Amino acid sequence: MWGRMAGRARSKRTCATLSARKTMQSRTSFLFLIVALGCGWIAPASAADNQPTVDSISKALICQCGGCNFPVGTCNHEQCFSRDQMKAMAAKEIAAGKSQATIMQDFVLQYGVKVLAAPPARGFNIMVWTLPALAVVTGLVLVVILVRRWRELPAEKPGPWAGRTDAKWLEAVDEEMERLGLDR
Amino acid sequence: MNQFGSVGLIAALAFAVYGAVAGALGGKFRSVKITRSAERAALAFGVMITLAVLALEYLILSDDFHNGYVAAHSNRALPLYYKVPVLWSGQEGSLLFWTWLLALYGAGVVWMNRRTNRQLMPYVVSILMGTGVFFSWLVLRVANPFTELALEGPNGALAAFTAPDGNGLNPSLQYPSMVIHPPMLYLGYVGMVVPFAFAMAALLTKQLGDNWIRTTRRWTMVPWMFLGAGIVLGGNWAYEVLGWGGYWAWDPVENASLLPWLAGTAFLHSVMIQEKRGMLKVWNIVLVISLFFLSIFGTFLTRSGIVSSIHAFAQSDIGPYFAVFLGIILTFSLTLLFLRLEYLKSENRLDSVVSRESGFLFNNWVLLAAVFAVLWGTIFPIVSKAVENSTVTVGPPFFNRFMIPIGLILLFLTGAGPLLAWRKTSFRSIRRSFTAPLILAGTTGLILLVKGVRDLYPWMTIFLCAFVAGSIGQEFYKGARTRQRAFGENFLQAMYNLTLRNTRRYGGYVIHIGVVLLFVGFVGQAFRTEARATMEEGDLLRVKDYVLRCTSLSAGENANYEYVRAALAVVKGGYALGTLEPERRLFKASQEMLSHVALHSTLAEDLYVVLAGQDQQTNKAIIQVFINPLVAWVWIGGAVLFLGTLLALVPSRVERELAHLRQQQEEAAEVIDGRSPGEN
Repeated sequence: MWGRMAGRARSKRTCATLSARKTMQSRTSFLFLIVALGCGWIAPASAADNQPTVDSISKALICQCGGCNFPVGTCNHEQCFSRDQMKAMAAKEIAAGKSQATIMQDFVLQYGVKVLAAPPARGFNIMVWTLPALAVVTGLVLVVILVRRWRELPAEKPGPWAGRTDAKWLEAVDEEMERLGLDR
Repeated sequence: MNQFGSVGLIAALAFAVYGAVAGALGGKFRSVKITRSAERAALAFGVMITLAVLALEYLILSDDFHNGYVAAHSNRALPLYYKVPVLWSGQEGSLLFWTWLLALYGAGVVWMNRRTNRQLMPYVVSILMGTGVFFSWLVLRVANPFTELALEGPNGALAAFTAPDGNGLNPSLQYPSMVIHPPMLYLGYVGMVVPFAFAMAALLTKQLGDNWIRTTRRWTMVPWMFLGAGIVLGGNWAYEVLGWGGYWAWDPVENASLLPWLAGTAFLHSVMIQEKRGMLKVWNIVLVISLFFLSIFGTFLTRSGIVSSIHAFAQSDIGPYFAVFLGIILTFSLTLLFLRLEYLKSENRLDSVVSRESGFLFNNWVLLAAVFAVLWGTIFPIVSKAVENSTVTVGPPFFNRFMIPIGLILLFLTGAGPLLAWRKTSFRSIRRSFTAPLILAGTTGLILLVKGVRDLYPWMTIFLCAFVAGSIGQEFYKGARTRQRAFGENFLQAMYNLTLRNTRRYGGYVIHIGVVLLFVGFVGQAFRTEARATMEEGDLLRVKDYVLRCTSLSAGENANYEYVRAALAVVKGGYALGTLEPERRLFKASQEMLSHVALHSTLAEDLYVVLAGQDQQTNKAIIQVFINPLVAWVWIGGAVLFLGTLLALVPSRVERELAHLRQQQEEAAEVIDGRSPGEN
């Protein structure tokens, strides 16, 4: 009998371990999903396959006039040599049949990486894209931990109405508080 | 008058030092007399700084170009209404203005707490005056606006010099909203010192109950309201003056103002959890510290010149002083927080994940994620330069990538939060509360699809705006209906009484409506149309359903500037809308050129016309036209946000009754302790 009980207990433990593992696996998968979605969301969109236009290039480059710090498309300086030059270069390269990625590369070669309105996700610059996403995920994990910890705190002492509350009663209280203008 | 101003500053510094020390001693030895003298020193500090401000205004208005600041930032031809804001248009003057606002807040705090929070007040005064010491010292020693001009003679001796005229006010500041935008922003930045002072005083005295948090919430709402108004007015200024057709460019200085506003929004929500449930105590202190830190950090970014910005017109080498001050704030506050952790334990447990508390927690998570993304994007060029010695730009593509989804989650929470009850929300209650807003949102979404709106973000934004509007509308309707049934009031009367009965709650809902309107305005940017053409008299330009005909090109001048003006008759759908007259102005004193945008604004869209310059080859005028849908809702949303906060600040009937009871209790306790009421 003891053997059977021990066997049952073992199988219970195994079930519990399996279920814990499954929970763990599903949590890990969920976390991976969040991170993957996050990475997909934050990775700078590749415009390599899109048909480039002067407008799309102007939005992705910073005017190098040194005064406005605006994307080329929004620089409104009178006779801005830089804006006009950059737009002309973009038009010329589009006419030559180059892709957006190649055109951007040519701009980086000419002006340096500072010409890009947002740094490419390469080398150290990858930090600018990944850290906020990481912060979002870490924040979410912290919120979940906090919620769980709060849930584990001992409950308040039951009042005289404990066990006698139901949804209808709570709604009546809600309505009464609403009538008095108090927060529910 | 220069000497008078300098003496005022010296006296102010002396009073600030005395107030800071006496406040700390008054708190330490629990001495009523010392505390009262510290409070009087805070008032005297205010008087002295006010005299210094009046002295500088007098110098500006009387065109005293012997004063270096006046000569650098004003000129004779400047109209009177632009002379007053010269006070805050340069580094020295704006720091004096900062200090003056700090003094006004200090005086306000002392006056409003003359009978309440008596145990906290010594340390509150000490911290306020400690900040006063830093700023008045900075104004006196590093950026003194009362410096006199002098010329070096042949023998090396300095001789007094008066400039014949000044350099004039920065042309981009000569705009009506610029007259009130900086004061609003500064009122926001400076005011964050008050919640910080109360939080630190609560930590120092270990009085971490309800009192400090109730006082702090109100004192946070005031600067939060001004900061919000300042941000919207700054957007309006950028829109109407910079001439690029937009109002927000994710510029570092714009971001610097957004950071404390976002942190403040998080605090104003999480503070409710502490008030109602005694939870999140540590977190709220951290938020108050970050509010003050981010406000000073914003000032540091604006003035140090470490980031390039179109708005940073008051740069100098004061950065290191701010860096040291920031270090002191962080070290002091975090050490104190660490030492008091045991007093900040949560009093309650979370009954359910589906509750108002959880909603606020998620709201804080999203808002703090936004703070981090904006902060990181803003300082990354500095980090990259320091680590890799490489100059990079972090512009709109980065911020839009993060902030649009974050904004949408926040918008959802704006609508969902009020529908959740404290402690626990049943499934039945969720179904009942969410049904009507979701039906409204779904219907709006379908209409948008039928109308051809297929882009995800604009569609989602309008969908969520409808959801939030539905949820807020439902809350007002339900409350009013309940009152109607209970008291037989008519609907409008019930709405009015309901709002006055709980101004905090319904003021909050009005703020949420303001947020919805802001998002409606933001979504218009997705449908912007732009055209650029060279024109001369008689030329036509068609943009969407507008036709613009150039009727004249003229030039002229007044005492302040020379201008070139294009007159464009505008017709839409066969109806004449009038004439728009964009200008290009050359300011005589500074020899700087600036566009003066011409606008035809309606609730549906703005026709925004810029005279961008003259084509060198054809000598024609370059006209740039933007059709910006829904922009007016951004300004309306900003105004509603402001009014909603004002409403939430009005003490409700319930609050007034409770405050009266509390004061009676405090006075009774003091009488029992053998003290006369009002003393600590």
